[in-house]
Amino acid sequence: MKRSISRRSFLQSTSSAALAAMAAGAPFLGSMSCNAGKMKSTADSVILLWMGGGMAHTETFDPKKFTPFSKGMEANSVLSTFNKVPTVLDDVYFSEGLEKIGSVMDKGTLIRSYVAADLGHILHTRHQYHWHTCYRPPQTVAVPHLGSWIARELGQKNKVIPAFIDIGQRFSVGEGEELKAFHSAGFLGNEYGPFMIPDPLEGLSSVKPPAGMSLSRFESRNKLYNDLIAQSAVGELGSEYQKESLKRSMEQAYMLLRSPEAEAFDLSREKKESYDIYNTGRFGLGCLMAKRLVEKGARFISVTTEYEPFMNWDTHENGHTRLTDMKKVIDAPIAQLIKDLDESGHLDRTLVILASEFSRDMMVEGRPDLKVKEQVNQPDVIEELKHYGMHRHFTDGCSMLMFGGGIKKGFVYGKTADERPCKTIENPIYIEQVHQTIYHALGIDPETNYIIEERPFYTTPDGSGKAVMDLLAKQA
Amino acid sequence: MTNSRIEKILTGKTLFILTTLLVTAALLFAIFVHQNWLGLGEAVRLTWLQNWGVLHPVMVHLPIGLVLFGVVLEVASWKNFHSGYRLAMLLLLYVLIFSLVLSVAFGALLGSNGDYGSNLLDIHFQGAIISSLLSWVSLYLHAKALASSKKLVIDFYRISFFVGMFAALYTGHAGASLTHGEGYLDKLFTSKSEQLNLSAIAEKTGDSAIGLTPDQERILSVEARAILAHNCYKCHGSDKVKGDLRLDIKDMLLKGGEGGPVIIPGNSLESELIRRVKLPAGDEDAMPTKGKRLSEKEVKILSLWIDKGAPWPDGDAQSTFKVAPLAPRNPALPVNTSNFSNPVDQWVDQYFSENKLSWPAVADEQVFVRRLYLDLIGLLPTPEEQTRFVRDTAADKVEKLVEELLSRQDDYAIHWLTFWNDLLRNDYTGTGYITRGRYSITDWLYKSVRDNKSYEKIVEELISPADESKGFVSGIRWRGVVNASQTTEMQAAQNVAQVFLGLNLKCASCHNSFINNWQLTDAYGMANVFADSSLEIHRCDQPTGKYVRPKMLWEELGSIDSMATRARKMAQLAKIMTKPENGRLYRTIVNRVWKQLMGRGIIEPVDQMDNTPWSRDLIDWLAFNFQQNGSDLKWLIRMIASSRTYRLPADGLKQPEDLFANDFRFRGVLVKRMTAEQFTDAASMLVDSVFGYKELKYLPAAFTALPSGAVVVRAALVANNPLLLALGRPTRETVTTSRESHANLLQAMEMTNGQRLHQTLKLGAQKWLQSGHSGKNLVTIFYNRAIGRPPTAAEIKVALGTIGQPAGASGIEDFYWAMLLHPEFQLIN
Repeated sequence: MKRSISRRSFLQSTSSAALAAMAAGAPFLGSMSCNAGKMKSTADSVILLWMGGGMAHTETFDPKKFTPFSKGMEANSVLSTFNKVPTVLDDVYFSEGLEKIGSVMDKGTLIRSYVAADLGHILHTRHQYHWHTCYRPPQTVAVPHLGSWIARELGQKNKVIPAFIDIGQRFSVGEGEELKAFHSAGFLGNEYGPFMIPDPLEGLSSVKPPAGMSLSRFESRNKLYNDLIAQSAVGELGSEYQKESLKRSMEQAYMLLRSPEAEAFDLSREKKESYDIYNTGRFGLGCLMAKRLVEKGARFISVTTEYEPFMNWDTHENGHTRLTDMKKVIDAPIAQLIKDLDESGHLDRTLVILASEFSRDMMVEGRPDLKVKEQVNQPDVIEELKHYGMHRHFTDGCSMLMFGGGIKKGFVYGKTADERPCKTIENPIYIEQVHQTIYHALGIDPETNYIIEERPFYTTPDGSGKAVMDLLAKQA
Repeated sequence: MTNSRIEKILTGKTLFILTTLLVTAALLFAIFVHQNWLGLGEAVRLTWLQNWGVLHPVMVHLPIGLVLFGVVLEVASWKNFHSGYRLAMLLLLYVLIFSLVLSVAFGALLGSNGDYGSNLLDIHFQGAIISSLLSWVSLYLHAKALASSKKLVIDFYRISFFVGMFAALYTGHAGASLTHGEGYLDKLFTSKSEQLNLSAIAEKTGDSAIGLTPDQERILSVEARAILAHNCYKCHGSDKVKGDLRLDIKDMLLKGGEGGPVIIPGNSLESELIRRVKLPAGDEDAMPTKGKRLSEKEVKILSLWIDKGAPWPDGDAQSTFKVAPLAPRNPALPVNTSNFSNPVDQWVDQYFSENKLSWPAVADEQVFVRRLYLDLIGLLPTPEEQTRFVRDTAADKVEKLVEELLSRQDDYAIHWLTFWNDLLRNDYTGTGYITRGRYSITDWLYKSVRDNKSYEKIVEELISPADESKGFVSGIRWRGVVNASQTTEMQAAQNVAQVFLGLNLKCASCHNSFINNWQLTDAYGMANVFADSSLEIHRCDQPTGKYVRPKMLWEELGSIDSMATRARKMAQLAKIMTKPENGRLYRTIVNRVWKQLMGRGIIEPVDQMDNTPWSRDLIDWLAFNFQQNGSDLKWLIRMIASSRTYRLPADGLKQPEDLFANDFRFRGVLVKRMTAEQFTDAASMLVDSVFGYKELKYLPAAFTALPSGAVVVRAALVANNPLLLALGRPTRETVTTSRESHANLLQAMEMTNGQRLHQTLKLGAQKWLQSGHSGKNLVTIFYNRAIGRPPTAAEIKVALGTIGQPAGASGIEDFYWAMLLHPEFQLIN
């Protein structure tokens, strides 16, 4: 009896799944995917340190010949506006102001050959969309963020911490709507979207009962909710998915809000010495929060210096002066983040990535062989300090950092030319490879895809992304 | 051996006696085994014997086939018994009896393992014994008839034979029910052909005796070729012909490629194609070379298809993909449904009786009236409105209320604005990439809905727009370079196809589609309508140097003058599109509106209108008559909302995926969850305004007045914000035709500690305190208004425990909160 029944139900269940996949119109997921766990992973968590606005490689991690400011200098002669400083690695130099990050480079890999896409007339949010989703905008369907793919495939690491947390980006700034377009789980469903913490200092309030509500009241409110449901007829009626999901998600939210893990969002619990090191502003504190969250079991965290038109890394003028400040914002917290994760042992399984949508150059907009419409008025002869800096959008050579999670230590990958145009001349790496390297480290199958509007949609376009094995340490 | 020798043996006594002995022995053995007189169930050492039971399914198809052939022979010699068929019949009977009794013996062994203990097994067994005996009797009478040629003997023989054969067929059917589940044939008889369980058949490819009906064969052909289309056409289709192999044309497929034939019809094991797709990813010969490996299931379906001779019908059925008829159709209303005056009910009645479903009692009136208000105007009924309806004794009270709600023009328009905004990706902010990238059509849209403009006119004005409605076909203009498949002209083609025709032109705008029959030239033809001058065809973003003239996808509906101006071409398209002959246009909108009210389209997904409806008559009738009635959307809503069908109790689904299940059965309205807009509007009415006036992005002529005289700023009129986003309002970057309705953690977090809702609760509590009502009053009133029923004594007690006596602000806030999150509140039953 038993055997025949199970065989029959087996036939029915497999056939409906397969037929669903064959019918393949549904925006619903699952049948084709979820290979997670089959591949060996070297990382469980990811921290993305996002330098939104275009971080000039020659002013940060790939310095070229330094030309100090002087009135009447020729713009074309300027490759770097800072001195270079040594790092812990032999013959590897950073731009002045990044000494601390330089001191932890023995724990990670420096990539000097990221090549951003040609998307024509440059727009930050379009390149950011491309970087974060691996797809060139516009797309005919809503495309998921890297963090959403990871949230979908691996789920929460700790069941009360949202799988995808985004720290530091507000949508109330310019291009807010464009930013929203890729801060989204797209077709994967809202469930996998980012949990937004625009201000890390307010992070705690995102995971605490509303202001002014005591814990006991919060608990009694939740009890009231459950009691009222228990009393009502809906407890007895069918168990349709809407109701079940509502009850389940409320339970989850309740657990998060009163769980000890929520303390990770509370920066005031950090030791003062540590807090002070990180406290270079919102970005630094975001790094601190990322550290605390990873230690409690977060899956994917993005911390951004925040993209806001003409602010932060988006230097259309005063590049030199502004970058002096930006380096102060990032240098200490990033170095400390790496050190702290290393000491606590979390760096082994946490992949930390620093990246920007593209680089900058004083002269070239776009790339040397494919210049696009210039957006910055850069005089050929510099008379004022405000014209001294990398102000144009350069896509042909950008720097990235990667630490932990199976990435090689003390390694440099790729190279840019030492003379203008300072473009990639060795081992170019593209976004598909970056994404696939991350997925590879996390053990997410390169074939991961969902049938969306009747066609497969892969983590990287057509599943074409190849992991850059050179970046990964040999596994014992 | 000569024929005469065979004849001698067949007509001789020896064989007959031997056969009789065998029949006796086999049947006795079978009876002993079946009755467990041998003690097989207990004796472990005899399991080797039971193992022989596996030969039953191998053996059993032989007698069934012989039975059918025997019937043919018998019928063929009906007039002349002593025809040349007699010897064949004799041979057939012997083989039949041998195979039959062996099957019975093996079957008894198979049944004895205890896996099939049911009445069905007994029926199967008894049938087998009876048909075996009757076969033997037939053999005996056959011999007598041959010898005597008396009419009576011949008649006896025939009766015995036909009864026996019928018994054998019935027995076979019972056995199949045991193996495949009872009702395994039902799927065929419901005429829902795509419900064919192909993979179950594919699972049993080893069981080659399974024959296919023509319908099954057609579906198998479509499914197998769809797998080829999705996975192979890219390199072996019209775009590329790698290895000189094309898989998209029958003859080319059969011919094979450079390396010879790729399939051997009837023999999947020897077919190169199957060998290649089965190879591991790393192998040099593995196919497909790029992209994913085929799933096991897909390989099985391909194998089955080849084993069945790789059927590929010519003519109309040649399409690899489902193709729905284009023409409108007005099926005659079913007869014998005089119980129902509403045609929707008449069709549903027919559907129910075809599917052996019965009409449940209609939903509770309080539940119904809440559903109707939320579905038609997006607002909760007030307790007064609810009572008025419940107490109304008029026979046509539903029709009256539907009419009344439809006449609340602004409430109606604000509610349906959300549906149209999602569909036409119209919004108040974003995405310009950056500025001036899109145009709002809100004012035009609002007025069109409020004034109940005919759908025909709406479509015309969207496709051939004046300035106020140009936003839809203008699309989103992106700064910088975009893929050729995302130019604004191509966006217009894609969106017109998706929104108005429920078809996916997105694939075809880059390359010939792998998911439907549309070609790159079709997409460009459509896009050229919206272009000043013809666009150069790009394949996968590479220019081809080719051009195509502007055209409507179905050219039989009308042609477009390729020399005309853009405006002229768009005007022509608008006219062609809205022709009554374009049944697709009207079916698509009817299906969308049906989904809004009933929770699921008659066809799902709603953007794949080539899929099969659960009732073709219903959608065809509605679409035809909707068009005939001036494509009046309120006519359509009225028709659906005043049906008894719409009043059925709400049916819940266990999984969101079930919406798309192939075996979906319509039983009534599905449980819906309030949209972001319905939820916040209800909260505004019940607690306090969630949005302030300053947030209004569009100011229609009238607002919705609360009973208190206050006015609600309805969610449909404000820009998207974290609360609405969390509740599922899309960003409207792309066309959205259905929203998620399951809850998730991020949403729960926003509801639990989000500022906006929290603030609303606070203000609401203050307002209540100022009113001076008691806590008990509050609970009763709130339940009535929010859920449409009074609270039970137990609920009042629980609620008052938190609210406190006298009521405190924080208690009221918490009560409000718990109620807003209550599934009974958020679900529309």
